[in-house]
Amino acid sequence: MSEFFGPLDSEGRVPPRQQTRVAAFLISAHCALARQFAFTLPMKLDSAWQTELNAQLHRESEIISLLLRATSWVPDLTLGYMAASWETAWFPAPMEGIPDRSLAVTAGLATLAHAVHAGIRPAALLPLEANADDPFVMALRRIEFESGRLLQAQILFLKGPELAPFRNAVSAALERRHAEIGKLWAEALEGVGITIPRAE
Amino acid sequence: MPFLSHGSYRIRYELDGPAIGPAYVLVNGLTQYAELWAAYRDALVAKQFRVATFDLLGQGTSDKPALFINQDDQVAALDLLIGELGDGPVFLSGISFGGLIALRYAITHGKRLSGLVPMSCFAELSPQLLLLGNAMRTGLILGGTSYLQDLLLPMNLSDQWLKPLLDKLDSVKRQGWLVNDVYALQNLMESFLDFEPLTPQLASIGVPTMILNGEFDFLTPRALHETLRVHIPNSSLVIIPRAYHAFTLEKPALTADLLARFAEDVLAGRWQGNKAVWIAPEEAGGALAPFPAGYDHLRAIPTQGMNP
Repeated sequence: MSEFFGPLDSEGRVPPRQQTRVAAFLISAHCALARQFAFTLPMKLDSAWQTELNAQLHRESEIISLLLRATSWVPDLTLGYMAASWETAWFPAPMEGIPDRSLAVTAGLATLAHAVHAGIRPAALLPLEANADDPFVMALRRIEFESGRLLQAQILFLKGPELAPFRNAVSAALERRHAEIGKLWAEALEGVGITIPRAE
Repeated sequence: MPFLSHGSYRIRYELDGPAIGPAYVLVNGLTQYAELWAAYRDALVAKQFRVATFDLLGQGTSDKPALFINQDDQVAALDLLIGELGDGPVFLSGISFGGLIALRYAITHGKRLSGLVPMSCFAELSPQLLLLGNAMRTGLILGGTSYLQDLLLPMNLSDQWLKPLLDKLDSVKRQGWLVNDVYALQNLMESFLDFEPLTPQLASIGVPTMILNGEFDFLTPRALHETLRVHIPNSSLVIIPRAYHAFTLEKPALTADLLARFAEDVLAGRWQGNKAVWIAPEEAGGALAPFPAGYDHLRAIPTQGMNP
């Protein structure tokens, strides 16, 4: 077990089995976010903040498209079982303790997006020797970089005035989401020989 | 790897050196992690100090609260760590953000300390520091941890330190990039959003205090350290020659020697703060020199001043 991808091939590329597992997890998570953003986005924008929702939807789509094309896919028999547990975890979970149903749903989505954008760092798995010109390597770096930017919308919303009265509920829900998704991510990686600190 | 528990969060720490005897507790700067004190551990343990290092909440291997990190929680975590040290003398030192946490601790728990060493530190946000902090936060948001490191390295380290590393800066930055997460660093920075100056409370720090400031510190210049010197009763200011904000990384042998000598002087009853201004030697073991009488230590050119 290692904290990083490997062993790399002679050209500094990540083993296809590891590429497949990581890309499948990321596609599942970002696809779930894209779906939920799409359902939330109206055909005609009627608030300024919805422009950010539109941007989030299309950035998620970009990430999925990028992974589909940059990954060297190989068959992974455990993916069916794992994907089922991932998809279950992404189900919308309105935040408990918020009486306004619409706000609770949006806050729940924001915690999921925060946990995915902040807690999943695929580029941190790349060893120093990874080939910077390899499309999968470049894709992971780009996804991690873009996630840091996408995260800002979630931070603004979760720390914002609408949720200020529910600070404890927000904090607790977000920590739960981080722990849950961190655990899934760690389990997905363990199956391909990568170990990262596990969420308790 | 031992951990302390603060509520639901875990704080990773390390104790080295003899269990009996004086202890030094070292508090990280904003983008740092406990391993960066390795040279200090070695030097201070060799002089029979016990050394405690840890990752603040949001740093390194400690838990990273997802949304809110309060500076009071950092002080509480520090108090837990100091509680692990028993009843012996405790000297507390921190750099930059860690220096601020050390100051807060000294204000609220000063009786537990035998000495305090704030380094590259501040008690208030001057307009320059506020705007630099805002710019660094924006840099982090727009460019990630790597961009923040790109800003901090040339601002806080000398040409002499940087020059041999210019073609391997990526590897210099890598560990800091790996262990620090954007959201956690952002939370640490945003713990300043409700910051109130500590200056009115500095007079309550009764312990011997040695303030260390790099000669060329751009991020927290002399004037910010002067606030500490003027308001902390039993203090003195020591200027580290040719040093920038991150002199703990650049001059570990000299800084560790100054820390050890300060603690030894305090324990031997030799320490006299007197709000004096000193110039540190260039190398470990050299003598400190008083700042030349009649000149203004707040200026970068030899200008006659009121009183050093």
